[in-house]
Amino acid sequence: MHDWASIGPQIFNGLVLGAFYAIVAIGLSLIMNLTGTINMAHGSFMTLAGYLAYTMVLRGTSFWFALIAAPLICVIVGIAVERTLVRPLYKREPFYSLLMTFGLSLMAEEAYRLIWGPNGVPFSPPGALAGATSVGFMTFPAFRIFIAVVLIVAIAALALFLTRTRFGLRLRAAVQDTEMIAALGTNTQVLYAVNFGLGIFLAGIAGVLAAGMLGLAPTSGNALLMPAFVTVIIGGMGSLFGSIVGGLLIGLTISLTTLFVPAASEVSMYVLMAVVLMIRPRGLFGEEGIFG
Amino acid sequence: MSARGELIGAAIVIAVLLFAPFLSPLIHLDVSIVSEVLVMAVAAMSVNLLLGYTGLPAFGNAAYFGLGAYGAALSVKYFQVDFVAAVVIGTLAAFAGALILGPFLLRRRGIYFGLLSIAFGQVFYFIAYRYTDVTGGEDGMNFPRPPVALAHVQVKETAFYYVALAVFVAALIAFRAVVRSPFGRTLVAIRQNEVRVRYLGLNSDRFIFVALLIASAMAGISGALFGLLINFAYPLQLDWHQSGDFVLMMILGGGGTLWGPLLGSFIYVLGKDIVSTITPLWQIFIGGLFVACVLGFPRGILGTIEQRLRRAPGTFTADDVNAAFDPNAPVEVGRGV
Amino acid sequence: MARPVLSRRSFAKLAGAGSAAAVFGIPAYIPRLGEAADAIKIGLLEPYTGVYAGPAENETHGFEMAAEAWNKRGGIMGRKIELVKEDEQNDPGVAAQKARKLVNQDKVAALVGTVSSGVSLSVAGVANTLGTLFMDSGGHTDDVTGKSCHWNVFRTCHSTWMETHATGYALQKHFGKKWFLITPDYAYGHSLETGFKDVLAHIGGSVVGNELTPLGTTDFSSYLTKIDAAKPDVVLVLVQGDDYTNCLKQMNQFGLLKKYPVGGPQVELEPLYGLPPEAREGWWGIEWYYKSEKTLGKGNKLAQQFVADTLKRTGGKPPTARNAFGYITLDRLAQAMHDAKSTDPVKVARAIEGVHFSSIFAGSAYYRKEDHQLMWPMWVAKIRPNGTPGDKYDLFDVTDINAAEAVEQTIAQKAAVCKLGYP
Repeated sequence: MHDWASIGPQIFNGLVLGAFYAIVAIGLSLIMNLTGTINMAHGSFMTLAGYLAYTMVLRGTSFWFALIAAPLICVIVGIAVERTLVRPLYKREPFYSLLMTFGLSLMAEEAYRLIWGPNGVPFSPPGALAGATSVGFMTFPAFRIFIAVVLIVAIAALALFLTRTRFGLRLRAAVQDTEMIAALGTNTQVLYAVNFGLGIFLAGIAGVLAAGMLGLAPTSGNALLMPAFVTVIIGGMGSLFGSIVGGLLIGLTISLTTLFVPAASEVSMYVLMAVVLMIRPRGLFGEEGIFG
Repeated sequence: MSARGELIGAAIVIAVLLFAPFLSPLIHLDVSIVSEVLVMAVAAMSVNLLLGYTGLPAFGNAAYFGLGAYGAALSVKYFQVDFVAAVVIGTLAAFAGALILGPFLLRRRGIYFGLLSIAFGQVFYFIAYRYTDVTGGEDGMNFPRPPVALAHVQVKETAFYYVALAVFVAALIAFRAVVRSPFGRTLVAIRQNEVRVRYLGLNSDRFIFVALLIASAMAGISGALFGLLINFAYPLQLDWHQSGDFVLMMILGGGGTLWGPLLGSFIYVLGKDIVSTITPLWQIFIGGLFVACVLGFPRGILGTIEQRLRRAPGTFTADDVNAAFDPNAPVEVGRGV
Repeated sequence: MARPVLSRRSFAKLAGAGSAAAVFGIPAYIPRLGEAADAIKIGLLEPYTGVYAGPAENETHGFEMAAEAWNKRGGIMGRKIELVKEDEQNDPGVAAQKARKLVNQDKVAALVGTVSSGVSLSVAGVANTLGTLFMDSGGHTDDVTGKSCHWNVFRTCHSTWMETHATGYALQKHFGKKWFLITPDYAYGHSLETGFKDVLAHIGGSVVGNELTPLGTTDFSSYLTKIDAAKPDVVLVLVQGDDYTNCLKQMNQFGLLKKYPVGGPQVELEPLYGLPPEAREGWWGIEWYYKSEKTLGKGNKLAQQFVADTLKRTGGKPPTARNAFGYITLDRLAQAMHDAKSTDPVKVARAIEGVHFSSIFAGSAYYRKEDHQLMWPMWVAKIRPNGTPGDKYDLFDVTDINAAEAVEQTIAQKAAVCKLGYP
């Protein structure tokens, strides 16, 4: 009864979906690692990027410009939020930031509804990415291939940034020992702000791409948030590599269970999470000592 | 606050609550929404036990709350049980949920515990959503409010209010007894320094598990009553947004205080009802309340007041709890054992 | 020392005035401003926040226009209609509490509104307990006029049974009998599936694939890849809301919209305007349309006026089926109160049911006596992706019209599940 021929495309689709979760989870994870902030407004930033890109394209800019510009505007908004609202919470228990950003996401949803209206808006990728490529028995939508490429490039660039640049190295050092890096003369507040902006930038890119593949409405970003949290837990907090593996694993699990056991497709990622935690309580690549 | 002062304060609050059904129409509120304040206060108390006292970010208590509501709804719909039995079954359903989830949740502390609570709570949400034939799925399920079998009486709105009040007062007394017992003080010790508690030879996991079970029963009884109040069970009751509401109520009133959850529920439930009547933009106000509360008075209203009042020697007040609940204290990284 | 700004006496006066204002002013203020003492109040429950905020807004326009029309004519029995609005937040629990508040505190004569089925069921239950009329303008589940029907509950929009049967017969006529279903895996989807399978049993067709998709599915690829292997005559998309948008966008990206005809039980203009033109495709059930003689009726002055008035109100955004639901619902409720010369729920309910009337749509209709479902036509339309020249909103080319009796369950079928239970 299973259609074995659809496994190939399904694996591809699962990986694309997983890359989405991974990039959102990396953003969450970056912010979480350095400052202990659980950003529940992450989905709101994704939605914001989608709407900004929509508005830009409507005003006549190209999709390509919007793909970069919209996330950058989100970064500005994000850093402003970080400096004014999140920073006072760094020394407190993490759940305060969770609550505060949850409140922000409620406000953001209402604000989007006021600005862009309660109904979804049409946003589609440019004509060059609209078609589908047929490779024998498989059909690859061009936009999905594009998404996969963008996500891989973004993740690779991030990895290079963190391992090859002075700033990236400081960032990683600060995750290990913030006091030491401060004592050595690095301005940690700048680190915090840039790090937050980086996380938001990744969310922004994911937001624009998601708006092209899915719908765009005031509530749409929140749908990707929960899988991203599960990704962080499975991959292990404190590990960017873990987020990548976790995201791909979840993407594959979801798409393969939809194929074979459709009834379990929503619950499958939670089952996966339970299994991982039974075997490795810190997640697959979790580091010792971060958030217990 | 002295013991006498506390008694007088409690007497005043209870007296006001006794007359609330007659006062609420004066400010254009229905009795049922005042009942909701009491019912939600019990759920906020369950968060208070875990988060306010034990220091565990309980962001999944809606799972127990929803299990309570569905437990009551299903038992009334399919087995025609009476009012009391529906509440008991709902509570037991929530208790059973915590028995199953407990061993998983116990493995982690800190914010990890919170994320796990959210994620596992969502599993119940999906179950309610999916098993349409039994639960009514997304549409939820209507069920009549059953009579109390022994007394052969229907529970009308005002009567329901007094049932809710009785449950609330009982929960409050039980809660006070728990947090003042050696068990409760151990919970506070766990939030202050779990490693030290372990060195003293206490199995902190076991304490946390029992706290979780007590909290789940409280959330369950609250959920069962809420289901009976609105005669409806639906998946959103299990959703993590609902958990967020409970946490906000607790923080708003004052974490680690006895009366905080009631005050928080009072402000949140009535505030949302009134603001959403005045403007469709109520979500901005509620969101703003989260932000203002966290930034402005993280100890909550009662926590801030109690901190200011000098306490009489020999009494145990929220200050003892808040000593470790100090939001400005640095985060202990790697507190896990 | 400077003189105190406030003398003690004036301070005492001020404090006295302040506390008097607090005691008397606030309770006096909270009941809505500007209410007329003798107005007939109608409680309007709509999800102004959440995913259905768009349809809620449009239904409200319809309700308000009907109220204004009646008030211009002098109201009901000389009393003005006053709508008391509450945001039910698309949450059945909130809706139940708001319904109680409207009935017990605002003393409304009847409740109207709602978009989602869960909220409709919850409000119907509360209204029944309180003995108040409830007219469900927009919650589609069969149960409202089926298993969970009540004497005090009426429904204006079509039932899911009507939607599936109207479109099922039309799709068979246009394309054939081999169907591929994409069904949302929750209550609403399951009742649609049941409806379509009933149609197939009548026409002797077959389901060559039925994919159950969880609500909130972001990635439809796993379901879409199965379509090619099944080779259906037509793909039926049963998912709604955001999922509908996701599904159609992805079908387009997989090139499926060019390969297979696509259709479904219903589509609303609100989400359709949110789709990019290349993903607007197919044959769908529609519940009313602002620009077709088939839906409005030839030379229907009332309907033309309704469309013109709405356009004036909204600054050029045409009315959708939601506007029509609101208008028809309140207009019929007011008419019944007028006819019964009373706001007594039982008398008004008796005055609504069974009465044939014509309104802003083609032909005549009536709320069926046996189950309180509005029996009005259901239409099928083909989508024009880019509208017509000069009107980008004009997306439907209405093709078929189905009489209500032909597509709704029969009285005998309904009698088996629905007991109205008048007091």
